Amino acid sequence: MLNASDRLSVSKAFVAKVVVFAACAAALLTFPSWAANPYILSAGVVVLSYAVLSTSWNFVGGFTGYISLGHAAFFGLGAYGTALLITKLDLSSFVAWFLAGVGVALFAIPVGWAALRVRGASFVIVSIALVLIMLLVFQSWSDFTGGSNGLVVPRPFPDMLRPEHHETFFYLFAALLAVTLLCWWLIDRSRFGMGLKAIREDEDKAEALGIPTYSYKLVVYVVSAFFTALGGGMYALWFGDLDPVFQFSILIGSYMVLMALLGGVRQLYGPLLGALIVGTALEYFKLEFGDTQFHLVATGLLLGIVVLFMPDGIIPAGMKLVDRFTPERSSIREMTAAELLERDQSESSERAGRHASTPSDPEPSTTEKAKR
Amino acid sequence: MKTTSIMRIGALLGAASLALTACGGSDSGSGDDDGPITIGVSLPLTGDFAEPGKGVQRGYEAWAADVNDAGGLLGRKVELKILDDQSNADRVVADYESLIAQDEVDLVFGPFSTRLVVPSARVADEYGMLFVEPAGAAPEVFEQGFGNLFYAAPAVANDHYNYLAEWIEALPADQRPKTAAYAAMDDPFAMGTAYGLKEKMEAAGIETVVDEKYPPNTTDFSSIAAKIEASNADMIVGGTQYQDAVNLIVALQQLDYQPKLAAFSTAPTNPEFPEAIGDKTEGILSPTGYTEQADVPTNKEFVESYTERNGNPPGEDEANAYTTGQVVAAAVEAVGCAEQGECQQKLIDWLHENEVDTVVGPLSWDADGRPQGAHMIQQWVGGEIKIVLPEDVKEADIIYPKPAW
Amino acid sequence: MDGSLLFQSLVLGILLGGLYALLAAGLTLYFGIMRVVMIAHSAFLILAAYLAWWFHRETGIDPLLSLFVTVPLFFAVGVLMQRLLVARLRPVTLTMMSVLLTFAIALTIEGLLGFVFSGTQRRIQLGYSGESIEVFGAHVAVVKLITFGLAAASLAALYVIMKYTKFGQSLRATIQHKEAAQLVGIKTDRVAGYGFGLGLATAAIGGTALSLDATIYPSLHWHWIGPLMAIIVVGGLGSIPGAAIAAMVLGIGQSLLQIPMGTTWAQTIFYVALFATLMLRPQGFFGGRLAQRF
Repeated sequence: MLNASDRLSVSKAFVAKVVVFAACAAALLTFPSWAANPYILSAGVVVLSYAVLSTSWNFVGGFTGYISLGHAAFFGLGAYGTALLITKLDLSSFVAWFLAGVGVALFAIPVGWAALRVRGASFVIVSIALVLIMLLVFQSWSDFTGGSNGLVVPRPFPDMLRPEHHETFFYLFAALLAVTLLCWWLIDRSRFGMGLKAIREDEDKAEALGIPTYSYKLVVYVVSAFFTALGGGMYALWFGDLDPVFQFSILIGSYMVLMALLGGVRQLYGPLLGALIVGTALEYFKLEFGDTQFHLVATGLLLGIVVLFMPDGIIPAGMKLVDRFTPERSSIREMTAAELLERDQSESSERAGRHASTPSDPEPSTTEKAKR
Repeated sequence: MKTTSIMRIGALLGAASLALTACGGSDSGSGDDDGPITIGVSLPLTGDFAEPGKGVQRGYEAWAADVNDAGGLLGRKVELKILDDQSNADRVVADYESLIAQDEVDLVFGPFSTRLVVPSARVADEYGMLFVEPAGAAPEVFEQGFGNLFYAAPAVANDHYNYLAEWIEALPADQRPKTAAYAAMDDPFAMGTAYGLKEKMEAAGIETVVDEKYPPNTTDFSSIAAKIEASNADMIVGGTQYQDAVNLIVALQQLDYQPKLAAFSTAPTNPEFPEAIGDKTEGILSPTGYTEQADVPTNKEFVESYTERNGNPPGEDEANAYTTGQVVAAAVEAVGCAEQGECQQKLIDWLHENEVDTVVGPLSWDADGRPQGAHMIQQWVGGEIKIVLPEDVKEADIIYPKPAW
Repeated sequence: MDGSLLFQSLVLGILLGGLYALLAAGLTLYFGIMRVVMIAHSAFLILAAYLAWWFHRETGIDPLLSLFVTVPLFFAVGVLMQRLLVARLRPVTLTMMSVLLTFAIALTIEGLLGFVFSGTQRRIQLGYSGESIEVFGAHVAVVKLITFGLAAASLAALYVIMKYTKFGQSLRATIQHKEAAQLVGIKTDRVAGYGFGLGLATAAIGGTALSLDATIYPSLHWHWIGPLMAIIVVGGLGSIPGAAIAAMVLGIGQSLLQIPMGTTWAQTIFYVALFATLMLRPQGFFGGRLAQRF
């Protein structure tokens, strides 16, 4: 991507990058000391938890382009898994937290196996269905999960006063966020990541090039579920009370999508930026307009605007604006040719799919094209 | 090119944190002794518990108005700050957090519904605040080890039907119901009332033929009603809040199920109840912790001033909220302080050791905050809801078996 | 198990299945025409129910009469929504983005309903709410019968429109092969818009019917969209008869399963069916070759 002539600017850019990164990290890490009061600090914890969740979501959404509206299921399972391991098996808090993450990752394997067989519409439907199922199960199976009465998660640090508790969890969430970002960055730069991005651009071509698309998708789906569950488990340890209606809420899943899309799914910091904007706005709306449903309307409108006008997020949108005044760079996102091709293909394979489909067919491409 | 994006992130981070701190700069002058005493409350004004939530709000407002008319608490006016938690547990926690940590209120009152009481009581507990609540009656509430919690009503949920249970047990064997159907919302309070009675009925040899539990957001009751109708149980007990009771009763009417005895918690005492089920209320039973006729100190004044302000007499939710105010006020007057910090522990200690006179009668608590009293039983008789049990305070005779609805 | 309870549940299941069928038909229509998964369908359903409730509260007239306003209104909204919003999305990511877009619309509607009418549960109180007719020992509530009648009549009307009118033919042609339809002179954009309007009109009818016998609150639409989406996948995306059959089968199944399993667990039948379909027959059970025909 970079020409030799860019080298000088690269090193400059690198320095600037390091400086900005350090400044942001410092601002983040000192937040507890300059937060005005414990309530602001708790809002900060919420925003950080959103950042962890939307970055975790972005493993699937960003790399493969599969939009899952159902990651709240993994969030809730991570939270409930942590709580249940602590209360039923008497494990120590953070052991339970990690085991819950691993357990959810294992659970994600069969789910991903079923959901990733289909593209487009059916995948989204399955992802939403997953949340609704979990909500039903956790509400109904009350002997085990506490049902609608909720479940109380024992405090990991029982002696802490509330402000101290918030501060500790602020740093725990920050650490989890750092690990999640690092993992995303590593995948982004690996061959594995290249394969995933090829799926995003054109799954059939990627497959023709010999990329094992199905197992790639499944692996990244499981990784995404793992980090989402860790985020959920951490939330459970921090918040202390679980309620199925809240843990398995479609809204949480849609926040993840909105944040990632708004910030830009192709960027490492996109979801984090989106979480900062949306999370802060949500907390603000709830504080100011607490007794109305205004935050729902705002979320809905914002999502609609993002989908219609800047589906690539504000970072690319901002860059495009900058590009308008700097002549060189040609866009890698020119889609017109691909679009046409794609449309023609889907039309023809639709007809093919109707005749040639057999349920046991392991090659998803023809049958599922028809499902778009 | 990456630089620009990172710069933007930096700028936005800064902006976001500025926005966050901006919210934090509000009032901090509440430590000042001459200003009003601010009391923070979060209530479900919308959502599942909106109807009772608004009742509690009216009760709190009536209490504040009465106190201010009488010159305030410790000579200071009281001021309520009420937030809406949308019947949502994560909101209720954030609400109390912001009330205590950001608005620095001097006192807090409890929210409505058991499901919301436990999370909010923990917030108050971890900030060391006194927490008197009007509506967390389920046994779970008192098993969390909160030292700061007091339930401002006569009895916990499982004991609500005690008088009814005694009356049924005393019936001659040939008149007694033989079978019973139970339907309860999956909510600690609602389940507590129905299952408290169920335990006693089973002990008395009345067979349970239907036992259904439904999640709070259930709206279609036709299949539950079909099961109850098919069992043809002699009595139906609903562990209900408000709308679910209405829906269940309408669904039962659609199937033409006619029990000998029908008891539902909470809903029948609501003023909108008769209209909602089409005036087919005759004979429906409900436990209540309060009656406007109760002959206890301060009740008469409460009913008068409330009726004058609102145009109708107070119901149970209003009375429990008012009671909450009275309990806190008694502690504040006795200890002589109302602010965050050490004062709160003194208030808590005082309430553990003393009895308070309230509109629902004198209240005292055990170490976990359980009140030590009992509920009365009301019934719809001739288009009005009247006390029928216990015998010594009844306003009408109990109707049994229940007429057709 | 008690025979009369079984029969009662069967009747309830058929009545419920009828409403599911109408709503699933609307969802199928959008998908057939535009490859759009319309998450907001059930939000419009609840909106129509709220309008009926509000109409009844304000005027005291039977809520069914609100249909004369809501059906044309929803048709117009549907046309506008297709032309102004959905048509703007990039074709290559249309399905994914349309899900998000309609999801956003659903959230906005839910929020506005909560804003205007508050989150309190509402129910229309009619003189005949508690009335029922006895059929072979089963009690059929009058309001449920009206709901079913409306759903059945609308489905029949939809069938007639699709099968016998010129508009219906163009619509089917657009569904089957857009380019070919354009070649024979069908203005597919306009037809797609009207098709969208038609789909939304079914939500208006369904919502009004629903309001007669149900308690409504703003977030109720999530409880409808899950089953409905399962129905259209099981029925084969794009097939209206498939959706109707799946709706009936699953509606009855849900009602019967409530006897042994209770209300909450019985709802899982939709999701079990959804996952089973994806595992065994991703193109749906009743769609397949029929999928693109009416």
